[in-house]
Amino acid sequence: MKKIKKILNDLFFLEILKGLVLTFKHLFVGTVTIQYPREKRKLPVGYRGLLSLLRYDDGVEKCVGCALCEAVCPSRCITVKSAEVEGEPLKRYAREFYIDITRCVFCGWCVDACPVNALAMTPEYEYAVYNKRELIFDKQKLLSMGDKFFPEREKPIEVQHLNVAVFNVARKEYPSHEEEGR
Amino acid sequence: MELAIKIGVTMVEIAAAMAIVLFHVAYLTYAERKILGFMQDRLGPMEVGFHGILQPIADGLKLFFKEDIIPTGANKIIFSVAPILTLVPALIGFAVIPFGDEGYSFFGVKISPYITDINIGILYILAISSVGAYGILLGGWASNSKYSLLGGMRSAAQMISYELALGLSIVGVILMSGSLSMVKITESQIGGFWHWSVLKFPAPQFIAFGIYVISAIAETNRLPFDLPEAESELVAGFMTEYSGMRFAFYFMAEYANMILVSAIAVTLFLGGWYAPFPFLEFTWPSPWLWHFFWFAGKVYFILFFFIWIRGTLPRLRYDQLMKFGWKIMLPLALANILITATLLYLVNG
Repeated sequence: MKKIKKILNDLFFLEILKGLVLTFKHLFVGTVTIQYPREKRKLPVGYRGLLSLLRYDDGVEKCVGCALCEAVCPSRCITVKSAEVEGEPLKRYAREFYIDITRCVFCGWCVDACPVNALAMTPEYEYAVYNKRELIFDKQKLLSMGDKFFPEREKPIEVQHLNVAVFNVARKEYPSHEEEGR
Repeated sequence: MELAIKIGVTMVEIAAAMAIVLFHVAYLTYAERKILGFMQDRLGPMEVGFHGILQPIADGLKLFFKEDIIPTGANKIIFSVAPILTLVPALIGFAVIPFGDEGYSFFGVKISPYITDINIGILYILAISSVGAYGILLGGWASNSKYSLLGGMRSAAQMISYELALGLSIVGVILMSGSLSMVKITESQIGGFWHWSVLKFPAPQFIAFGIYVISAIAETNRLPFDLPEAESELVAGFMTEYSGMRFAFYFMAEYANMILVSAIAVTLFLGGWYAPFPFLEFTWPSPWLWHFFWFAGKVYFILFFFIWIRGTLPRLRYDQLMKFGWKIMLPLALANILITATLLYLVNG
């Protein structure tokens, strides 16, 4: 019986017929192609795209220049130049903040490391440019990215201790020395 | 005067046939890419025109404006002649393909939907298609490249071994119809699909048809017999060093050969221009149109089958190819001739 089956198989190419039926069925199965520039795929929640810097809802940048992101970055693509506010030795901010996107591996560790949630990852993945230098993002660029992709800003933290790094320089109404001392 | 009209009519017929064939060659590439795409759950060409409908034109333009490179060390004359030597036989084979029945008369000259009907039509086609192998072999040799040479050699070996089976599979049909003329062969199959050579009493030629189709795929160097241009081993086989229009000639020759081979299959085995049932032989608005319709429909079916096979099967190994050709196809074809001849003798006396 097995032999007859094999002979029949060889004679009428039954295996090939099976394959033909399969490919014919696939003619009518829908396609999986996404016509990319016209049609974009839905990104999953938590997609890790380009990095951005955020602000509080009054337009003050969140970053306090602690450079923890720089420390944690595995590809060392973040450079933070921290500075203090004139006359306020404890209030620090990032005077310069660079992310070299050409080296970034989009691991998201900087976002996790940030103590004030100043960094966030946008769903942006179309950032091809003609000049490679444009991919070294400075603070202005990163902030504008944040403005673009996160229009809903957080309120600033109400109670902040004087000696805690979680503190923002550019704010006017921070608790003053005198009030705190007495 | 009559001669002038005759020549004029023939010229017009040749021009029409060439135009139709070249149009089909162009759109066969498109159809192949689309069908293969859908079989692989892709879309195929989508960018040029609506659903990529203008893709063949874009491809043609691209190839036309490409730089024409002749590799150093190549034999320039043979390198230039070889693609033409492949394309011309593929195109002039259509001279004897009958697309329909003899019809109208025009100033005393009969106009028929075929360029010519010579009494050795099928021999002519076999002879012409053998010349095509030269183009491939010479192109492979003249390129001065090892891939080309290997591809050309494989192609020649394959074409020779499968041409035998192809030629022998036709013999049964010739025996049944008693003629070598393509028109006469078709006319002997009138009256419904049970009179077509594949199923005709007393010796149905379905085995011969299978052999013919398999050999035809091998003859046109298409998957699963595309060893001469096996991408993964030989880059592009005999076409490796070719670019621009010369490459386009090879490409067109391959597709023209596909159409030619399908047209021959339809003429010999599937009743040519006749409808599958006698009551489907319409005469309005013109019997010609319906002949074209049935003929083209059958040709399209076989072409679709070729593409279908390409979308289904992987490439054969070289020794399997040779073994299959010589040890299975050839004896089967010979046995088919024997059986056909015996049956015809017994029935017709």
